[in-house]
Amino acid sequence: MATGEPPIVSAPQLSARRRRGIRVTGLQAGVVMAVVAVAAGTFFEVGPPEAYGICMACHGRDLVNSVLNSLFSTDLVVAPAALVFPLLTTVGVLIGAFAAAVTSGEFRFRTPRRPAKSFVYGALVMNFGLLAAGCSTRLALRTSAGDVLGAIGFVAMAVGVVVATIWMRRRATR
Amino acid sequence: MTVGAIASLVAGIVIGFFGQRSRMCFIAGIRDWILVRDTELLKGLAAFLLVGWVLFPVAGLLGGDADGTFADPVTVTVLLSVVGGLGVGVFSVRVEGCPFRQHVLGAQGSGNAMMYLAGFLSGAVVFHTLVAPLLSRVLI
Repeated sequence: MATGEPPIVSAPQLSARRRRGIRVTGLQAGVVMAVVAVAAGTFFEVGPPEAYGICMACHGRDLVNSVLNSLFSTDLVVAPAALVFPLLTTVGVLIGAFAAAVTSGEFRFRTPRRPAKSFVYGALVMNFGLLAAGCSTRLALRTSAGDVLGAIGFVAMAVGVVVATIWMRRRATR
Repeated sequence: MTVGAIASLVAGIVIGFFGQRSRMCFIAGIRDWILVRDTELLKGLAAFLLVGWVLFPVAGLLGGDADGTFADPVTVTVLLSVVGGLGVGVFSVRVEGCPFRQHVLGAQGSGNAMMYLAGFLSGAVVFHTLVAPLLSRVLI
């Protein structure tokens, strides 16, 4: 009978051995994001424009601009989908990722090491993203929806990534 | 239209959760493959493209709003897409993550990512008050 025997591993050992939080592969995340993006855009009024289900740049722009418009009665551009009420994708991502980080014990505040550089790069990515009408996520989404311009933007983004990565590696190994 | 707001919040929570658990990033897939031949995130990008390509027509058949009509490319929009795409690619690599990944990093406590997000949102205002009016004057 095993009832009287001590447990083979103690409780702290067990919890240390078990990975905290569920594990999701990149492949699974890609599938889930595509399903969510298509469903939001086609069935849940996240649009027009077409293929607007997920866009970190455009939805962030819509949120900021509609808040500013209502506060200061300015007339900044918002997408038709966000005219009545702003899209909250960016807020949702922050909530979801925060919940995932806290439940898995991965939340840790780290003071910014390069605050000014990060700020400027953020502003640059937003501006280039709005030029191409989409962040990297929406460029991929538009490509899969059959938008030629989206595909052109996606290919340009991929070329930009390749060039910047090779450049970065050259500088690091020189 | 409030349906869209609620749906986008829920969609954001779902993808934010999965994005944090998987470290999903739309530029790091390509970068990691070039640097160390790691395909983990590249598979995610490929899956996103493939599943989207399959599901858009399916959603249209099921009565979803997917008519698939997009603006025809003209010289100006092609130029903007190329320049914009290149800029997003290059600067996302420089800052080590696509906008989606930066939101996730900010939510798990990265100060750099929080500064990035502050710049990102300010950038939208800069774009619509300075860059877009200037460009429309030059290009059109």
